[in-house]
Amino acid sequence: MSLQITALHKSFDGQVALERIHLAVGASEFVCLLGPSGCGKTTLLRIIAGLLPADGGRITLGGRDLATLPARDRGFGIVFQSYSLFPHMTVAQNVGYGLAIHRTPADVVQARIAELLDMVKLADFGTRYPAQLSGGQQQRVAIARALAVNPSLLLLDEPLSALDARVRADLRHELREVQRRLGIPTIMVTHDQEEALAMADRIVCMQGGRIAQAGSPRELYLAPRTRFVANFMGHSNLLPPAQARLLQPALGGAPEGMAPESALLCIRPERLQLQASAQGTGRVTGTTFLGNIQRVQLHWNGLDLLAESSSASTWEVGQSVDVSVSAPDCAWVHA
Amino acid sequence: MYASERWLLRACLLLPLAALVLFFGVPMLTIAWRSLVQDTGGIGWGNYAALLDTPGVWRALANSLLLGAVTTAVTLVLAFVVAFGLERTCMPGRRFVAGALALPMLAPSLVLGLGLIFLLGRNGIVGKMLGVRPEIYGFWGLLIADVLYALPQAVLIVRTALRQGDARQYDAAEVLGATPWRQFCDITLPQARYGLLSAGFVVFTITITDFGNAVVIGGNFAVLATEIYNQVSGQMKFGMGAVVGMLLLAPAALSVFIERMAAQRAGAGAESALPPTLTRRPGRDTAFFIACMGIACSIVALVLTVVVASFIRLWPYRLDLTLKHYDITIAGGYAPLWTSVWVSALAASVGTVMLFVLCFGIRRMPGRLAQAATALSALPVGVPGLVLGLAYVFTFNTATWPWGMLYGTAILLALCNYYHYHTQGFMTMMTGMRNVPTTLEDATTVLGGSTARVLRDVYLPALLPTLLAVLVFLFMRSMVTLSAVIFLITPSLPMGAVTVMRLDEAGLTSQAAAFSTCIMAVVGSLALLLHLGTQRRKPGSKPA
Repeated sequence: MSLQITALHKSFDGQVALERIHLAVGASEFVCLLGPSGCGKTTLLRIIAGLLPADGGRITLGGRDLATLPARDRGFGIVFQSYSLFPHMTVAQNVGYGLAIHRTPADVVQARIAELLDMVKLADFGTRYPAQLSGGQQQRVAIARALAVNPSLLLLDEPLSALDARVRADLRHELREVQRRLGIPTIMVTHDQEEALAMADRIVCMQGGRIAQAGSPRELYLAPRTRFVANFMGHSNLLPPAQARLLQPALGGAPEGMAPESALLCIRPERLQLQASAQGTGRVTGTTFLGNIQRVQLHWNGLDLLAESSSASTWEVGQSVDVSVSAPDCAWVHA
Repeated sequence: MYASERWLLRACLLLPLAALVLFFGVPMLTIAWRSLVQDTGGIGWGNYAALLDTPGVWRALANSLLLGAVTTAVTLVLAFVVAFGLERTCMPGRRFVAGALALPMLAPSLVLGLGLIFLLGRNGIVGKMLGVRPEIYGFWGLLIADVLYALPQAVLIVRTALRQGDARQYDAAEVLGATPWRQFCDITLPQARYGLLSAGFVVFTITITDFGNAVVIGGNFAVLATEIYNQVSGQMKFGMGAVVGMLLLAPAALSVFIERMAAQRAGAGAESALPPTLTRRPGRDTAFFIACMGIACSIVALVLTVVVASFIRLWPYRLDLTLKHYDITIAGGYAPLWTSVWVSALAASVGTVMLFVLCFGIRRMPGRLAQAATALSALPVGVPGLVLGLAYVFTFNTATWPWGMLYGTAILLALCNYYHYHTQGFMTMMTGMRNVPTTLEDATTVLGGSTARVLRDVYLPALLPTLLAVLVFLFMRSMVTLSAVIFLITPSLPMGAVTVMRLDEAGLTSQAAAFSTCIMAVVGSLALLLHLGTQRRKPGSKPA
């Protein structure tokens, strides 16, 4: 089943939270809603879940209108950042909660609990209480609880944000693995662009209650359409058309349909090539060693640029360098 | 740190700790010891054995248990309804309900009993209007008065428990398909259960140790609190009194233990928990509005009746207004009121200073001693006033020990009232201490500030609201408490709450009402002052 959102909007006390949202989520697609806090991503997720009413617009799942369906009858699964397990229930009771509500026979519930705990690698933890588990384990239980009811849509509200970096990376992988295996359409809210890049089939980048750009992780990273998306998806160098021509004459001016004063050329730091040269127009102003790579700050034609190079090469502050880039590695964005 | 400063800090910890041991630890050990000292001389379980043969005590024990159990059950149901209405519904009039619930805290416990007599007693207004003479004295009157007296404290505890909800748990349950009723049973009730348990013990303890209502409206229904008073004051059986005192310790001690356990269990909640969002549900809100208003109005009606009756010539027959009941005719007149004010002011100021110094010492000198002080400070809340008062008599009514000279002084009364409420004050003070920024304290020290400077520039500004709250709390409690001081007062040193009881015993019910009104006026105006003062302190903060 696929989810279809049309012209959705919502405001709180006159403050617009969501504006003209159009979005489709495919049958087994993993979509990330990405954006800074206050961009409306969580509001959108809560409206999809049915926990918040929309002011207007349509949401359909497999052609069925969800407007009149309360959250508890939608049959979705949801996972929150704060785990939100029931503290007085055992792990098994938590996982089986959704099934128990729907009056599933006890033996079926038991079998399903065992199956899910196995899936999230907590087979021996059924009799423990949430307080006896680590954060990562609690979140696994929350995921199992959401999946137990065979949800037609899985909603994840920053599920990994509260976890340690290491646990987060592991769980990121596991979550994606499980989702792929079960083929459940999934929407995840996050403010972590790295997480979105690593997990999503499609990223929906949001800004101020609107969708700024939606597309594959590769598209959003390499061909952002606006300055906001370019900056949010990682470090970038943004050059006005005049300097862009100096760097890469093949690009010509700003593309058609874009006024020169509102066009910027976006170049990712790792795509900038540096060459030590006494006649170079760039000058190294600083370096940051990051282990596998190093960042090089440059001054070039009145602009500050950021480049990334292998940590094998050494750069001295004050050194003159040649800066170049190949035309396909650049993208024009709206300022 | 200089040696002199280290000594100052050590004194901060040792002085209040020594006082706590002397004025709480020693009396409690003494009463335990006295329960073992037999009338015939010698040490043994004789008093406990004698208790088994005293028919009056058994009767009182059975009555107390029955009354305690029924009061607890009724109060818990009502407290949950009110707390839920205040915390989890959008019903109108929440401020009024919260305000009405604060009323019994401003008055001696027996004021509710008085109000009940004026309303439903043999010469009550209801009986007169309906032409009947209802029998309110005894179990039912005591039940109503105790329920309304214990209700505010139970509501406070249950509200705290309900406030710790996590909106996300409700969202998760909702998405999993749980109906609102199911969510209530699976999330709200389990969350409140330790609060309910703890409130249950508190109510039970209050009920079986409350003295005021038992005297005023208990009639022939003998309970343990009146029995212990009769044994000691009437029959001079001190050993037996000590035994009953030890019995009264049991439920209170248990409740402290349960509360500890609950606090540990409750620690599992997520720090990032969002409070549940309130949604308007007309049906539910209306139901809670009606129930809460009914309860709040009964309390207001009882207290108001006492105030009104104090101005009436002959309740309920001659309803013209008069001030003649304010002309107190028994010995001393208004002197006990001023003694109460003086003793309460003493208890409040000594208590606040002691608590501040103790908490400062605990924070600055962590270690074994600080742990001991914290542990000991948690105990007084488990000791009923009646038992503490009796323990003070055993300890300080002595000629052999130097502290015997405190007996019969206002200082001892003040200390008894302070240590009776030491735990609550200690908790408030420690919570307030947490608001003192440690980094600011360190910064001041690194900049060269002495301990005195740290106190003045860091602690005092951050703690001012807390100090004020503790001060007023101790003053208010000290003004209205009856059970702790009933054994300690002497003819030359009477207290206000005791005088109300004496007036009622002498049949001067209207004068008792007038005297109660005066106490409520003093306490109420102070509470109002504090309320206004703290409101101005934090502009923009949301009203609770």
